[in-house]
Amino acid sequence: MRMRMLSVLKSGVLLDIYFFKNNRSTLISLMLWPYLMLGMLLGFGLIFGSTSAFKENIGMDVNPITYFVSSTVVIMACLGLLWDVAGSVLELRWIGALPYVILAPYRISLTLILSYVPRYLLISVIYLLEFTPLIILVEGLADGILKLGVIFTALTLGMLPMIGFAGLLAVLFIMMEEESNVLSWLNPLIMLFSGAFYPAYLLPHWAQTISRILPSTYTIEMARLAALMGSPSMARITFLMGLLIGFAVLYNILAYSLMGAGERRAMQRGAI
Amino acid sequence: MPKTTAIDVLNLVKRYTTYERIGFFRKRKKVIEALKGISFKVMEGEVFGLLGPNGAGKTTTVKIISTLLLPDEGTAKVLGYDVVEEANEVRKLIGVSLSVEKGFFWKLTGRENLKYFGMLYGLDGELLRKRIDELIKMLGLDELNAADKLYEEYSLGMKARLSLARALLTDPPVLILDEPTLGLDPPSARSLRELLVELAHDNNKTVLITTHNMFEAEIICDKVAIIDKGVILAVDTVEGLKKRVAKDVALEISFVMPAKAHMSSLLDMLKNALKCPCNISHNENVYRLRLVINVNSVDEITSMALKILHEMKCKVRRVDVKEPTLEDVFIKLTGRRGFK
Repeated sequence: MRMRMLSVLKSGVLLDIYFFKNNRSTLISLMLWPYLMLGMLLGFGLIFGSTSAFKENIGMDVNPITYFVSSTVVIMACLGLLWDVAGSVLELRWIGALPYVILAPYRISLTLILSYVPRYLLISVIYLLEFTPLIILVEGLADGILKLGVIFTALTLGMLPMIGFAGLLAVLFIMMEEESNVLSWLNPLIMLFSGAFYPAYLLPHWAQTISRILPSTYTIEMARLAALMGSPSMARITFLMGLLIGFAVLYNILAYSLMGAGERRAMQRGAI
Repeated sequence: MPKTTAIDVLNLVKRYTTYERIGFFRKRKKVIEALKGISFKVMEGEVFGLLGPNGAGKTTTVKIISTLLLPDEGTAKVLGYDVVEEANEVRKLIGVSLSVEKGFFWKLTGRENLKYFGMLYGLDGELLRKRIDELIKMLGLDELNAADKLYEEYSLGMKARLSLARALLTDPPVLILDEPTLGLDPPSARSLRELLVELAHDNNKTVLITTHNMFEAEIICDKVAIIDKGVILAVDTVEGLKKRVAKDVALEISFVMPAKAHMSSLLDMLKNALKCPCNISHNENVYRLRLVINVNSVDEITSMALKILHEMKCKVRRVDVKEPTLEDVFIKLTGRRGFK
């Protein structure tokens, strides 16, 4: 079984390598995108305020560049996982490859998730490597490396609870009669409720409730704390790591049981 | 040595629920019975054809056997494994091609696509590389370096070959192919058909194909099931099916119609007068009337048909009496004209 799972993971790696090798413009735009995002956020920030106003607003003594880099990387990678796993179902359906992916002798959701996890890790590493010089320039070598390490930990741990969530979405997409792209409106909502660009505690109470049950909230908070990196933050980071692992267990168990029913329903309805 | 059953389908029923939009928000539920309790067996090393028109239930049947669709009632087994209860085991034993024109990543080459799917199906390393090279050669994808071209640059014939290559990647004992030659040019279709027969007869692979092409079914299938509206009308060898119309002959009259004549009124006149199913096809301005009739009534029906054609001012070019074909069997069984 382990060997088979490994082979699905390897097929995912292979697909990405081939895809980027044959589509260099996609690779370039993938690399430019986080910088454009960061540039836009900082640009807007500087038009409507200043660095000190930003620090005052969020109540933290933090370099806005490090702050937005960590947020950008984490949120883009987290949402990338949703796009890649759940969105892949739509893509596979459009190109007619979905039945052949499903014909792999494993559970449908497992195949879909495992073959796209490598893309998540690959893209996360690409984003991090891209920002490495900037972070080192702003924070210095030692602090910069430490903060990048925390961001990478947040990315890896943050992926775990999102896997179940993405798997559920993938099965939901297989079942859906009309192939409307739910992700295009779901992703901005997740970004909003997770406190991607403004801390979750600034949101209204009802939104904070939603925020608390979203694993991406804690992933973002963890990455954001990397921007502070004082001793109190380390304790909080450890707490958040535990929380993310807990969420991962809870969400994945929940998702696993729901996915089985979803897969069956999809195959009953002839949705594949 | 007696052959074992490779695919065993028993009383399969499949209903689809669809919703018909009757207003902006309102929908009406509609249940379509795609399969109405079909049963058939495919033996090892056999090319078995599911022959029927569009909407007959062919694709639904192959999707169920391929574990991609759950039946509502009945069972289907592949080499003894149940397609619902033991789906993963079945998937290891089958190679599937559901559509020749899509199903691959456009921005990957043929070889890269095969490598990806091979790995997904559990193959790896040297074994996978060798298998891909073997298949590329076997299916003629090495010509003009097709294997290393991007899939988006493929012609339909090349796509069909690549689709079959994927189905053969794990060297499965059972191949399930939905309309494998649909849209192919005659040479490509012919070479693909030859390959399928070779795979079944020389390599003992069981090949289940669906087709609406009578000619194809007649030349490559060891056994054919005629399916229409979710019901199997007959299962037999091509010869066995033809014996069902052994006392019949096919009367063929070729004629040219005058410019102002109406085909529908001619067909109505013929049907009313001859009281038998009529099939009219045409090639440019030459029409071909085909009737399956009892051997004893050839003279009588020929003169009646010629009289009607004469009344309609049609110029008769040729009259032939032929052995009935699979198409005639279909017409006889369904009471309506064939589909190809």
